[in-house]
Amino acid sequence: MDPSERPAVVFDNGTGYSKLGFAGNSEPSFTIPTVVAVNESFLDQSEQCSSANWLAQYNAGVMADLDFFIGDEALSHFKSSGLYSLRSPIRHGQVNDWDTMERFWQQSIFNYLRCNPEEHYFLLTDSPVSTPESRECMGEIMFETFNVPGLYISVQSVLSLSAGFAYLKSLSEEDSEDSVSDMTGVVVDIGDGAPHIVPVVNGYVIGSSIKSFPLSGSDVTQFVMQLLQERGELLPPDDALDIARRVKETYCYTPSDIVKEFKKHDSKPSKYIKQWSAIKPKTGVPYTVDIGYERFLGPEIFFHPEMYSPDFSTPLPELIDSCVQSAPIDTRRALYKNIVLSGGTTMFKDFHKRLQNNIKKIVDERVAETNARHRVEVKPVEVNVVTHPIQSYAVWFGGSVAASSHEFFECCHTKEDYEEHGASICRTSTVFKGMY
Amino acid sequence: MILLQSPSRFLLQILKDRIVSGDKGVDIDCHTVEFDDVRYHVQFSMRNPKVMVLSVALPLAPPEAILYDGLPLGAIDAIKAAYGAVVQILDPPKDCFDLTMKINLTKLPTDEEQRNVVLTQIASVREVVLGAPLKLLLRHLASKTVAPNVDKLVALVHRPNESFFLAPQADKVTVVYPMRFQDSIDIVLATSFLQEFVEARRTAALNNAPSCMWSPVPPLELKGVNADALDANAGFVTFVVFPRHVEGRKLDKTVWSLLTFHAYVSYHVKCSEGFMHTRMRRRVESLIQALDRAKSDAEKLKKLVHGGSFRRLSMKHEGNSNH
Repeated sequence: MDPSERPAVVFDNGTGYSKLGFAGNSEPSFTIPTVVAVNESFLDQSEQCSSANWLAQYNAGVMADLDFFIGDEALSHFKSSGLYSLRSPIRHGQVNDWDTMERFWQQSIFNYLRCNPEEHYFLLTDSPVSTPESRECMGEIMFETFNVPGLYISVQSVLSLSAGFAYLKSLSEEDSEDSVSDMTGVVVDIGDGAPHIVPVVNGYVIGSSIKSFPLSGSDVTQFVMQLLQERGELLPPDDALDIARRVKETYCYTPSDIVKEFKKHDSKPSKYIKQWSAIKPKTGVPYTVDIGYERFLGPEIFFHPEMYSPDFSTPLPELIDSCVQSAPIDTRRALYKNIVLSGGTTMFKDFHKRLQNNIKKIVDERVAETNARHRVEVKPVEVNVVTHPIQSYAVWFGGSVAASSHEFFECCHTKEDYEEHGASICRTSTVFKGMY
Repeated sequence: MILLQSPSRFLLQILKDRIVSGDKGVDIDCHTVEFDDVRYHVQFSMRNPKVMVLSVALPLAPPEAILYDGLPLGAIDAIKAAYGAVVQILDPPKDCFDLTMKINLTKLPTDEEQRNVVLTQIASVREVVLGAPLKLLLRHLASKTVAPNVDKLVALVHRPNESFFLAPQADKVTVVYPMRFQDSIDIVLATSFLQEFVEARRTAALNNAPSCMWSPVPPLELKGVNADALDANAGFVTFVVFPRHVEGRKLDKTVWSLLTFHAYVSYHVKCSEGFMHTRMRRRVESLIQALDRAKSDAEKLKKLVHGGSFRRLSMKHEGNSNH
């Protein structure tokens, strides 16, 4: 059986979570934290004592190169035993530790998906601002170590855009209307790592207009934890970050107006204040935490970043606007019309409404100004923030859709290409080679 | 993780999620592929949220392995024995699949621990189906008899178009694997891995393990087998299993280990390749650092001006060293 007859493997390795699965499915098979717990007691020893090292390992009944865990297992092993240390191979959206990344892939392939990498094509994703060298490294590991027959490295934002497109198309088929735009839009990708605003026109990324936003999902978590602690809630220090993360995922939402929200909370605390109960890990004593303003203040850092970080004060809507303004002038209307959200941190309730209102306000003001200055009547600009329920794994879904088409297998870098030309075939991505 | 686990993580996760999520019905229709072309198709429908339809496709059998209605010998009985009332076999199976089962989650035991045992069993459907004939033979070995109506040499499918061979006798079963690999590097690594494997068996700690041999030519047991089935590029591995290896609870483990021996070897070949690459990368890094230290200050300054990056140099060297 030819590898192209089997479904391709789609990996979307994010800073916080990795999504693993097969093309053609609508959901990833596994969503696990991108962490690796390694047993370091036998690693990092100097070359001279390598034979002694081997003997020590042998006597301890350990194979150091296989003694590691990924995902949730890594977290639980890290907590329960002092032997392991936790490593995250991806920081701020980019892989910075290739050894750990290789191990992570090894376990995800053999232990999670349980497939033979020689039998499947692979689709990996990559941040829009990552270096050609990192793509080269990716190709090298995939072809050399795992012997994959074909590899495609796709840009995350293009995949999120096609995910939104595919989702809307599936809806419009039912309603039998075809008002969906083509592959043009602004992707607002906010995950746990480095958020980016990426304009895509006809499937090509406009590289010069990519903007990055310094605050991400992990900053929201940090901020929620900070707020809870400042208010005097007693959080066990070991678990504080974890609790803040879960509070964020369950209770946080985006209000339309922050002042009104404070009033609402003050007038009816019983309705808005939530409780979080858990058990202290060390002592086993149950405790509860009150969650009040944190519920809406957490996501507010995207609209008022100065609350959290003094060095950065441009709100997200303004940044999106300036991103579109820096794109070629004939694409701007289409870009405003299709602003696609992607990444887990955009899942807050009403996040898209707030974003849409704020951007609309900026755009309308600009249009009114133009009208007044030139005494003309410009057609109003349509602003539309697209939201769909699969935002948290939109990149993976886009990858799954892309890799299940027949053209996919023709676009892949194949093993033969790699052996002929080397890792340099992975350096460039065609999506950056548009006419813009 | 040194050995591959028998239950499929994916199936187990879906089953457990479904138990936890209760009656909230969501349509699930997904497929997954495991090593050696075992495919699963899982379906939950909105109407019947507690019924899972699981279809399994087995690797394509070579001519020498005999199947009964597309399934290995004794597979249906093994399924019935393992799952009892929870599972109902649908006949005929779905298109492109060899077995379709209807799993009724309401019939699971209520006790959590027992339920988890049954769920793990369901997730290990591969072992139950593909391992059925192997288990049959080994069970006879445990009671020191030869199964009736069994040929002197039995071929069992374990990979697409590939089989391994068993020569059952009353006091021992000889298992022979022709080892095949695609990639030239894999062949070399696998050959030396297998030779080490035989060597490791000789250490005192493993005295009770099944004896193990490796040879580049087909062993005597395989006389008279079709030449196509004996075309192996990484030699032949022979295990001799004695009754003591299949007593009581050891049986299941032995069946799974024998069934996935090829996957086990290929997994370890990949792991060692990964380990070697890690070491190569580390070595290149350290050599580059040494080179960097040797540079004079003037050179360093020049480098900064021209903007040639340290990173690119490292990539280039690495690429060379890997070939």
